[in-house]
Amino acid sequence: MSNLKLLAGVLVFGSLWGFSECIIGSSLSETGLPTGAIMTGFFAITFLLISRMTYKKPGMQLGMGVVAGALRLFNPFVGCHLCSALAIMAEGAIFEIIWYNISFDFRELKPITMQISMGIISAYFVYIGGYIITQILTPIVSGSGFFVGNLVAFMPNILASGLITALIGGFVLPAVILTKKVDLRLQDRLYYPTTIGISAFCWIFVVGYWFILV
Amino acid sequence: MIMGKEKAIPIIAMVVLFIGIFSTIYVDANQVEKDTIEIYGRNFSLDQLFSDGVERTIETDEGEKTGISLEDIIINVGIGCVQCHDYTIKAKDGYQQTVSWDILKTGIITDHNRVFFPDTAHSFWVRDVIEIEVI
Repeated sequence: MSNLKLLAGVLVFGSLWGFSECIIGSSLSETGLPTGAIMTGFFAITFLLISRMTYKKPGMQLGMGVVAGALRLFNPFVGCHLCSALAIMAEGAIFEIIWYNISFDFRELKPITMQISMGIISAYFVYIGGYIITQILTPIVSGSGFFVGNLVAFMPNILASGLITALIGGFVLPAVILTKKVDLRLQDRLYYPTTIGISAFCWIFVVGYWFILV
Repeated sequence: MIMGKEKAIPIIAMVVLFIGIFSTIYVDANQVEKDTIEIYGRNFSLDQLFSDGVERTIETDEGEKTGISLEDIIINVGIGCVQCHDYTIKAKDGYQQTVSWDILKTGIITDHNRVFFPDTAHSFWVRDVIEIEVI
């Protein structure tokens, strides 16, 4: 696979992830549901797993986190761009670390118990890792300074909030592995127009919509 | 003996679930139920803060927010050198954020008991405040 093809894959999956965080995440937060847990447990883990299963390249999920975080950062719909952008970028990096020793064809994950277990572990650590990193980096980046006591006092809540994400992840991973049998490959002549088209749609919809409204 | 992935991964998953469950129980058991806000050793109800202070409107990236100025509240409780301290705003769920006087003085607390600042990340917008600790 060429680097350009991989880059297009990073762009499209990162954009889809960022799009879901900005549009679906913003809508969900108004319903009072645990938005962060659902967004990570379902959407983030789904995109991260499908991309890993399809492209089989290390570093791709890290790149997706950067693209999705960047889209979140430029999202004009809601505030707190910095906190969630940092969390998303961290989530991509943490996923890479967790999956570092797992083969790209997922051969270790044949038994369903392994699939559920890996789903639980991935979703939980990706979520709480992103949460902790944003709690540390946001005060630093915004110039207010980080106080370790604030993080320690809130740690039980962070650890507790990952439980829903872990349970969602336990269902999502086996479901994504089931789709392995579906051939989603595109013909070469359609690959770049499709990936660039979907990415452009995500960015234009999220960033450009505000300008249309104004 | 090194444990294989087929044993280690399910064990780690179970540990993760236990951590999540015990943390949930701990958080629920330690939830503080309080109708007042402690500032500099004194307790104030929101009504009290609103009747004693002057309302101010600030512009945030989520629109205009109206409430009582934190600057007025802190000055009124009688802290001598307000700029010599940092201030930790604590919520009833254990969440807390520490800000300098330069940030605190720009903020407000609304009648829904949420603190807003015009120029900070939303993580500083603490809700269900139970204490403003002077440090």
